[in-house]
Amino acid sequence: MRQTRTRRSKFVKSLLALPTLFVLAFVVVPVANILGRTFEDISLSLLRSSAIHQVIWFTTWQAVASTMVALALAAPIAFCVANFKFKGQRLLTSLTSIPFILPSIVVGIAFLGILPGSMHRTAFALIIAHAYFNFGFAARTIGNRWLQIHPHLDDAARILGASPAKLFSTVTLPILRRSIVNTSLIVFTLSFTSYGVVRMLGGPARSTIETEIYFRAMQLGDVSGAVLLSIVQILLVGLLFLISTRFGSRDSRRVSTPTVSRQKRIDSTKNRTVIALVGLGAIGFTVLPLLAILNKSLRTSKGFTLEGWRLVVSSNELWRGLSTSFIYAFGALIIAVLLATIAATAAVYDENTAGLVGVLTSLPIVVSSVSIGLGVLITFDTPPFDWRGSQLMLPLAHAMIALPLAVRMITPVLQGIPASLRQASSVLGATTWQTWRTIDLPIIRRTIVSAAAICAAVSLGEFGASSFLVRQSNETLPVLISRLLSRPGDILQTQAFALSVILVLFSAGIIFVIDSSEDFSPAKRTANNA
Amino acid sequence: MLEVRAISIEYDSKPLFTDLSLTINTGEIVALTGDSGSGKTTLLRCIAGVENMASGSIILDHADITDQPAHLRRIGLVFQDNQLFPHLSVGQNIAYSLKLKGTDKKTIQAKVAHALELVGLENLANREVVNLSGGEAKRVAVARALVAEPRVLLLDEPLNGLDSRLHAKLLKDLGELIRDRGVTTLHVTHDHDEAAAIADRVIDLHQLIS
Repeated sequence: MRQTRTRRSKFVKSLLALPTLFVLAFVVVPVANILGRTFEDISLSLLRSSAIHQVIWFTTWQAVASTMVALALAAPIAFCVANFKFKGQRLLTSLTSIPFILPSIVVGIAFLGILPGSMHRTAFALIIAHAYFNFGFAARTIGNRWLQIHPHLDDAARILGASPAKLFSTVTLPILRRSIVNTSLIVFTLSFTSYGVVRMLGGPARSTIETEIYFRAMQLGDVSGAVLLSIVQILLVGLLFLISTRFGSRDSRRVSTPTVSRQKRIDSTKNRTVIALVGLGAIGFTVLPLLAILNKSLRTSKGFTLEGWRLVVSSNELWRGLSTSFIYAFGALIIAVLLATIAATAAVYDENTAGLVGVLTSLPIVVSSVSIGLGVLITFDTPPFDWRGSQLMLPLAHAMIALPLAVRMITPVLQGIPASLRQASSVLGATTWQTWRTIDLPIIRRTIVSAAAICAAVSLGEFGASSFLVRQSNETLPVLISRLLSRPGDILQTQAFALSVILVLFSAGIIFVIDSSEDFSPAKRTANNA
Repeated sequence: MLEVRAISIEYDSKPLFTDLSLTINTGEIVALTGDSGSGKTTLLRCIAGVENMASGSIILDHADITDQPAHLRRIGLVFQDNQLFPHLSVGQNIAYSLKLKGTDKKTIQAKVAHALELVGLENLANREVVNLSGGEAKRVAVARALVAEPRVLLLDEPLNGLDSRLHAKLLKDLGELIRDRGVTTLHVTHDHDEAAAIADRVIDLHQLIS
């Protein structure tokens, strides 16, 4: 038995070498390189500038406000989905999930299209766009946790004298607290490090740390200043993650197990009205900005036109952008899914490596995409590693950015496979590799497909790292859209909106493919648990 | 006195039983037996007010409580799987109903300590409920229900799944605890020996349906 464990441990450790190597090479070394520069030639005087103080302050408070608005929008959806069974539930969950995988630049464009001109370049525009980006994700994660609260716990509280309000404040909220904190942390981080939305909606007056890094490095040529701001951002987000990890570990044992579904049929007009209002409101909020993009792709100041679409279809440049994006997305999904599957397997097969996998796959979240782009740019710029023009750099950077998501999708499914199945396989003579191939792989196959789809979506919409790493010959769709929008001319604008519609359709397709897969649907997963 | 008058219950839009009536006198312990899936648990949940009935009424101490929400009925229920609040310690679970009533801290401490003593768990007030054994969790669930001073106590297969030694010990303790406090009790079980050992009266669910 001990021999089998040692063999398995060796197998797992050798497996983990590959993702470790990739994260080291394309996240850790570039970040270390950024950090290293602080001690060489960077002047800290930039941090004393009141303009930078304002940027840091604005970045922080808009992220806090965005998180609060996103949670406020998510709460009623999570409540309805977790507590009731109703027609259109799946559609509601799928539709509201679309914004989260939309390219950030498309979200920015959507709100340019829907908000009146006087609201462009305002903090309100940024906050509402960030809330739009994240509310579906927040509703889904909090709703999934809520679904796991045993409905009989509610009954126990009511029988002991808790009114509906007391039930919520003394049982539901404390149990949901960890999920709410974790979700808030992710939404805050995404709003704090948001790039595409701020580039589109903020403008120079509403700069965040992320856009300031880009502005200094690419427009002012102040790489030192960009590096310093990047360090400030990494430290702030890293500190936040550290605090939340400590908070999370204190609560980690407090989990209840559902044995019956808490989703009840709607039995009163009041509940029916609430669900209708929440559902229609959420669908309207999700769809309206997307319709605005479609509308903008069909209109110029002179009225209705298909010219933008005609040019998208006929322009070689735009087709090149499309094909480049899809080729990069394919490369990124292959790399990310391979590394994520290996990392998740290592974490599940050998508990000792779970901590290392957690740290490795959290790094690309803590380090923003712009910082990854900047780090890669300043690291791989001298022979024999002058890879700045290499076609492989972008898929690699995108894969690193998508890796945390893919790992977090695959790991729980692998963890859900009873250890006894693997033991039975071993007893029947299978090697560790044979056990993985014949037991684990068939069970996680669908999740791998879902993770691949998400990785493709991340790559297609990635804008931060791409802004640093693309060349004119290999522009990706988001970079192309940004360039088209920055040039004057109605038709160029309609082309940008038409390309955005293509990205929206692709993102929507991905969500519906994933949600039709049984092992990803939250409702079915809960029912399976029951 | 608890009176269940001609109630009908549906499950998934199909009738589970119709016109079921039952009366339990004040301080009486009644054991209700029946096959698995016959609707014993659903009947308890209807009496507690957490499940809807198709028709019929529930009368408690001559007052109709059919439309009263669960949190105002003052009926205790010990769930088959305990349903202890996972985010609260043993002591906090027991104190839950007292806190809701706004009872002062000193009284809560005294009542929790007394309840723990009654169920033989004096030293476990600060323990997390996820770390309790099956027997300990059951005792906490009973203590939590009794501290609320319910007018009627409903026990849903409370000794299910315990090994035979623990089952016998808890059955004896539970019987003494309820009888000493004179709580009107409806004890649901599929075990006829258990029913006979604890109850003043044993009824089969089928006898109640007219």
